[in-house]
Amino acid sequence: MAHLDIRGLVARYNNATVLDGIDLSIERGEIVSLIGPSGSGKSTLLRVISGLLPPREGTVSLAGETINYADRRSLRRSRDKLAIVFQQYNLFGNMNVLRNVMVAPVTIQKRDKKTVEAEARALLDKVGLGDKLTSYPDELSGGQQQRVAIARALCLKPDILLLDEVTSALDPERVGEVLDTVKMLAADNMTLLIVSHEMGFVREVSHRVAFMADGKIQEMGPPAQIFGAPQQPRTQAFVSRILGH
Amino acid sequence: MHYVLHYGQIAPYLPYLIGGMAISLALSVLSFIGGMVLGLFFAVIRNEGHPILSRLVRIYVAFFTNTPQLVQIYVIYFGLPDFGILFSPFAAVLIGMTLNAAAYLTEILRAGLGTVHAQELDAAETLGMNRLQTLRHVTLPHLFRVAMPALTNQYILMTLGTSMASIFGVEELTGRAFNINSTTFRSIEIFTTVAVLYVVVTFIATILLALVGRWAFRARVPVL
Ligand SMILES: Nc1ncnc2c1ncn2[C@@H]1O[C@H](COP(=O)(O)OP(=O)(O)OP(=O)(O)O)[C@@H](O)[C@H]1O
Ligand SMILES: [Mg+2]
Repeated sequence: MAHLDIRGLVARYNNATVLDGIDLSIERGEIVSLIGPSGSGKSTLLRVISGLLPPREGTVSLAGETINYADRRSLRRSRDKLAIVFQQYNLFGNMNVLRNVMVAPVTIQKRDKKTVEAEARALLDKVGLGDKLTSYPDELSGGQQQRVAIARALCLKPDILLLDEVTSALDPERVGEVLDTVKMLAADNMTLLIVSHEMGFVREVSHRVAFMADGKIQEMGPPAQIFGAPQQPRTQAFVSRILGH
Repeated sequence: MHYVLHYGQIAPYLPYLIGGMAISLALSVLSFIGGMVLGLFFAVIRNEGHPILSRLVRIYVAFFTNTPQLVQIYVIYFGLPDFGILFSPFAAVLIGMTLNAAAYLTEILRAGLGTVHAQELDAAETLGMNRLQTLRHVTLPHLFRVAMPALTNQYILMTLGTSMASIFGVEELTGRAFNINSTTFRSIEIFTTVAVLYVVVTFIATILLALVGRWAFRARVPVL
């Protein structure tokens, strides 16, 4: 059974169709990257999956259970299993690093505070921020903030992590540290759905790459296919433009 | 001019004036708290409530920010008894100031609400917070942080505004100053003393609010 199964997904903003029938199936432990031109609907797809925008048609299933986006409890259950990190401003500005990581497990999942704190400290250590526990987001670099955001997502113990251009707001020299953190997750066998413009990274870390344009997945395959021998003319055009040859 | 200042003559009245100051403080603190509760409620309605409710709040704000506060309290104190609603002077002033404060605070808080990053709200939602949890853990702390200077300002204005309560016979600081004046006729001494007392009260309030803002909400307000 697929870990994340998306069938015939359609989403609209007002009357503009942004996702026009998305089918995507991701296995447990698989890493899938979404690439495509600006405005093709990559972020929208992640927003729909995570319940920020209700789909107009189609279904999303997590480990076989179809999410009912109109039902709070179904949505809550999906959010225990699925976490998302955005491009920027993920962190709560009024909380220090440790509280940012702890707030959801403690107040929403109602888990024991001591246990959560130990886990949060361990996670922050793991992403290299063990010495920033009491710093506030505005005292951290963009790369540090994103690593905290990833640690916060992980503290909910999700099975699936969605990452939406987590490095695109960063200075070039900060990109590497965040990508290293993501690679660590890959090594931990987490199911990942990644939107990224870092083609080198996408090629290195993904099992499969999906090329999106006009609200549809135009082509999907292993990185070697998408970057080396794309089948569709649109994929070819996009890849050659972005790889600069 | 041969006016000789005699602060000694009003010294015995100092405890009496300080008692009046306590009443002024009670008025400003209570109406500020009441105004904050109402204002917060209205600000949320104004930003994300039903269009009709939002419109009603707008009318409320427009009404209270475009009429003199004195007139508003007059209506409450002298107008409502015609409909069988009677208030003591203190209650009438308190209600009037609260309703007035609510209107101004709605605008201040609404502006603050608009500065919460949409991504923070998205993050709260995808982490599983419901609306109330988001309000408590994300929106309100942010709001107090950014709005602290404006809130402090509003509170100071309200403290000074309490002096109009004397018109309705509330014996707060200014009211008591009038009382002493009518027996001692030491106007300059009395009203300069009262002015100093107002300065002291607002000064202390500014510092306290700045400290609260800094400690509780990491607001970047200078203490002095
Ligand atoms: N909140 C919104 N309201 C209306 N339209 C929106 C909204 N968000 C996105 N859109 C539209 O939906 C389309 C897809 O946007 P989306 O953000 O999903 O693209 P994307 O592939 O993530 O692009 P990028 O690479 O620039 O991040 C765009 O045409 C955009 O204008
Ligand atoms: Mg995007």
